Amino acid sequence: MFGLGVVGFLTRRNLIIMFLSTEVMFQGVLVNLVAMGLAYGHDLHGQAFGLFVLVIAAVEAGLGLAIVVMLYRRRGTLDAECWRAMRG
Amino acid sequence: MEHALVYGAYAVAGLVGLAVYAAMPKEGRPVRRGLALLLLASALGGLLMLLGHLLGEAGGRLYFYVLSVLAVLGGIRVITHPRPVYSALYFVIVVLSTAALMVVVGAEFLAAALVIVYAGAILVTYVFVIMLAQQSPRVRGGRSLGETNYDRSAREPAAAVLAGFMLMATVAGEIVREAPAVEIAAVVTATNAAEGNTLSLGRVLLTDFAVSVELAGVLLMVAMMGAIAIARRRIPQVNEAADVPPPGEIGKRAEPF
Repeated sequence: MFGLGVVGFLTRRNLIIMFLSTEVMFQGVLVNLVAMGLAYGHDLHGQAFGLFVLVIAAVEAGLGLAIVVMLYRRRGTLDAECWRAMRG
Repeated sequence: MEHALVYGAYAVAGLVGLAVYAAMPKEGRPVRRGLALLLLASALGGLLMLLGHLLGEAGGRLYFYVLSVLAVLGGIRVITHPRPVYSALYFVIVVLSTAALMVVVGAEFLAAALVIVYAGAILVTYVFVIMLAQQSPRVRGGRSLGETNYDRSAREPAAAVLAGFMLMATVAGEIVREAPAVEIAAVVTATNAAEGNTLSLGRVLLTDFAVSVELAGVLLMVAMMGAIAIARRRIPQVNEAADVPPPGEIGKRAEPF
């Protein structure tokens, strides 16, 4: 039987540095959602919510990449340090 | 069932043997490491399937640990590899192991949707953007390094790792503190037994989540229009073709507001 270890170990996956890693974060959240939906609610709400998370991830990837392409056209580089003047 | 196990054991042994054979050094030919690794990986996969069968119920746990370790390792490689194309490839590993985790828990529709949307659409978009936004790599001593300036050193890695893992430790602590001892296998089969995962998920979606589905559709449409509006570029006419500046030129001449 699955047990406490499944629910406990499911959150090992949140990593944060630049764009593809936000997608990795989405993966971690997705696994968490589905498992906790099944563990706490005993129905498929976790999976339905996970599907919406998937939709939002796709939307965010598309829009974010459009912005990245525009930024690249502006400065000719993908370096995030190049836009340092926008900080703070 | 027994015959399947026996043949599975034979297959694993054969694959490992082939892998070792491919890895052996030979006269006049370099070691074919790729082939050896591939065979070793398939042998490992076969071994895991065997173990899953043998362990029965606890096999689910084995799959879970192996898959989550694989996903974590892939994620680590995604963020630490200096070349973006390799990051995208490791991301494929992460997506596939997440999808396999979904299958282990019983959410087959979500697993298929993950593979189709992520590995199929989002990754292809990423690869296209990586292709379009390429940097000329630094050349040192006449040899191209294959990676750019800003890809070689992470930006404030200590602070980022500290922040990320403190966040994760907090969340994990909360979850472990309140986790009930559940038997997920029973729940999953109860929900899916009569009609399969896709059908029951669709039912839940269209009854409890109907408004959210409509909102998701609107969001997708808005995002599509936004992406087109952001990245739109005037198509240069014949006498304007010389005026389209290469990437980077606009920034050199633009005034900050």
